[in-house]
Amino acid sequence: MSPIGAARRTAAALHGFLFESESTLEDAGGPPRESHAADAEPVNGTAAPPVILASAIGGSGGAASLAAAIGVAATAGAGGGAALLVDVAGGQRRGPTVLASEAARELEDRVRGIGGVFEAAAARGNLCHLSLPDAEDPLEPVAALLAHELPASAVIVHMSQELWPRAIVEKRLSAAAGVLRAELPGDRALAALAVGELRDRGLRAKIVSDPLGRVASRRALAGLEPGGAASRRAARLARALLADHSGQGLPLVLGAAAALIFAALILAAIGGAITGTARAQRAADVAALSGARSMRDDFDRLFAPAFLPNGSRNPAHLSKAEYLARARAAVRHAARMNEVPAGRLLVRFPDADSFAPLRVRAKVRAEVDREALPGPDRARGGRRVGIQVVASAEAEASPPASWSGMPTMATGGGYSGPLVYRQGEGMRPDVAAAFDRMAAAARRDGISLLITSGFRSDAEQAELFEQNPDPTWVAPPGKSLHRCATELDLGPPSAYGWLARNAGRFGFLKRYSWEPWHFGYTRGPPPCSEAGNSIGAGGGERGSSGGVPSFVPARYREPIMRSAARWNVSAALLAAQILAESNFDPNAVSPAGAQGIAQFMPGTAASYGLKDPFDPEQAIDAQAHMMSDLLRQFRSIPLALAAYNAGPGAVAACDCVPPYPETKAYVARILGLLDGAGALVAPELEVRLVE
Amino acid sequence: MNDARGQASVELLAGVPALLLAAFVALQLLAVGYSLTLADGAAEAGALAVAAGEPARPAVRAALPGWTDGRVAVERHGGQVSVVVRPPSPLRALSERLAVDSSVWVKEPAAEP
Repeated sequence: MSPIGAARRTAAALHGFLFESESTLEDAGGPPRESHAADAEPVNGTAAPPVILASAIGGSGGAASLAAAIGVAATAGAGGGAALLVDVAGGQRRGPTVLASEAARELEDRVRGIGGVFEAAAARGNLCHLSLPDAEDPLEPVAALLAHELPASAVIVHMSQELWPRAIVEKRLSAAAGVLRAELPGDRALAALAVGELRDRGLRAKIVSDPLGRVASRRALAGLEPGGAASRRAARLARALLADHSGQGLPLVLGAAAALIFAALILAAIGGAITGTARAQRAADVAALSGARSMRDDFDRLFAPAFLPNGSRNPAHLSKAEYLARARAAVRHAARMNEVPAGRLLVRFPDADSFAPLRVRAKVRAEVDREALPGPDRARGGRRVGIQVVASAEAEASPPASWSGMPTMATGGGYSGPLVYRQGEGMRPDVAAAFDRMAAAARRDGISLLITSGFRSDAEQAELFEQNPDPTWVAPPGKSLHRCATELDLGPPSAYGWLARNAGRFGFLKRYSWEPWHFGYTRGPPPCSEAGNSIGAGGGERGSSGGVPSFVPARYREPIMRSAARWNVSAALLAAQILAESNFDPNAVSPAGAQGIAQFMPGTAASYGLKDPFDPEQAIDAQAHMMSDLLRQFRSIPLALAAYNAGPGAVAACDCVPPYPETKAYVARILGLLDGAGALVAPELEVRLVE
Repeated sequence: MNDARGQASVELLAGVPALLLAAFVALQLLAVGYSLTLADGAAEAGALAVAAGEPARPAVRAALPGWTDGRVAVERHGGQVSVVVRPPSPLRALSERLAVDSSVWVKEPAAEP
């Protein structure tokens, strides 16, 4: 195939694509065209060239050259080929030129092949020019010509204005557009009328007021591009007249639909990646929480005596290594249950150096599949590379934030020892422990016990008595056993029967036959006794001896008991503090400079008259003195402990345990120790995410 | 009709159902993604509550917006909290088929002795 032939076929194919819809229109409304497959191979089996009508209005001229220029431009717009210019306006017959393109010659051959008046066809540049002689009906031969398959990019029919009204309604012409040469503004009315008529008939219309110049006209009529601005004008006109509107609506709609779905897919992919990242974070969160939960559940066991009184190993006791191993196992199990392989998990205990760690950090390395993301792939060595996501979380078990605000030392009643709280009501520690056991038994029987009243100071009792001054129902101030922190008013009424049957098993006695809700604790020291006051100062049941927990080395028992008695502070509290501070090492020095068994900073030691912080007896006495002051100031063991660790200023500023991890852990540890030693029933630790 | 502009209009009209279908698919896709995000967050909220020794269901409900009322199922088996959310859809059957679920496991509190 010659290059020209190939170009022609390409142009023809392009032409067919561009004008495909015109044939659709023909099929819809126009008569079928005669096939001349035998005469010549059709360029496009179904395509017919668009027909443009050209004329001049009024006295204006130059329509023929304008029509020729549009024809030439149409061939360029179609990517090659030739246009057929039919002149029925009585114009001069023009001969072929030597510069005629192969496509124009082929078109000339095709038209001449029809015979008769069509033998006057002449190939001129990119045009095939055909001047038809006057006839009774000049449009008849044009219609006959158009009935043939013509390898033309477009057919431009130049006519007189007299023929125009008939041409635009002639169905056999199937005109697609009309172009009129008019002198404006003189011919404005006529031009407007003509355009209106064309548009009414669904034809595209163009009015041209400026004629082509002399040289441009000659070049156009010779089938050549007029050149310069004239070429650009002609090209614009051809595009406007031949623009293919049909078939554009559907691609537009389909394109919009595809764009919508594509945008949604991209959003979904991005959302998937975000979800993947969020799930990694979630896995880290719940893994850390599970570790903290394990610590919280095992915390008491860390402080349980390692050996039972009979010398055998205490199964409830956990060493620190076992405690951490269980927490680590809980983290790993949680990660595995949340689809994080063990290899992608890192577990760390930030306060592992302390003797009772309460914090756990889980780090998850996840991978987001890049296939789920939009954009180019990044393949390395044939393997798809995912996006690494690192998520970490830290959780802790710590005392409830709201808990420290309650006074933990009873005053103004018959009891002056530590208070612990259940359901917001204060009571003696041993009473709380007994209540816990009783409430657990009630729960197993499907009963939830409520505490409606616990410890009441004399002032609170006076207020109550004033509201109901009947000694049968409300004891006068100073007479109620509620001032001893051993009495509980329990409910609901539906539990009275269960309480009557079972309270005795847990050491509770229904005090008055007419008060089915009032129960007093009878198993511990008598109400409002000295022994009762010291119950929180070492009078517990487990692992204590003489008020000092069993973990205290023998050489320090006496100094602790002596200082506790001197400053009226719990011996168990002092012992737990020393264990937490220095592990009973009299020569301990912290990185921050705290010295001795009670870890006094030099300035604090001086303010308490402690000359040698490394002398254990002096240090313990100063510690007891300081704790006595802090308990008096803050009236709360957790707050006093927090003040010992972080300074009274930080505690007084917020009236809470300051949110320093070290201080919170310090308070929790000592409360745990007191709880484990049976010296104090500490509040349940909360499990929460720290970061 | 031999008006090309008319042809374009006809095609545009014919394409409107396709456009509406595409918009529906896109919106449904987004609704599913959003529901999955919500289910993830709600399941984690439930797991946090379980770890703290509290019931999971109220925490899950609190983590979801109001329009999910009647579209959520919460299940708890031990430490496993599962949340199923049906995304909004004009077709109930489709909504049920597109339901998304999210499960989180967390260590639940040890049983009291």
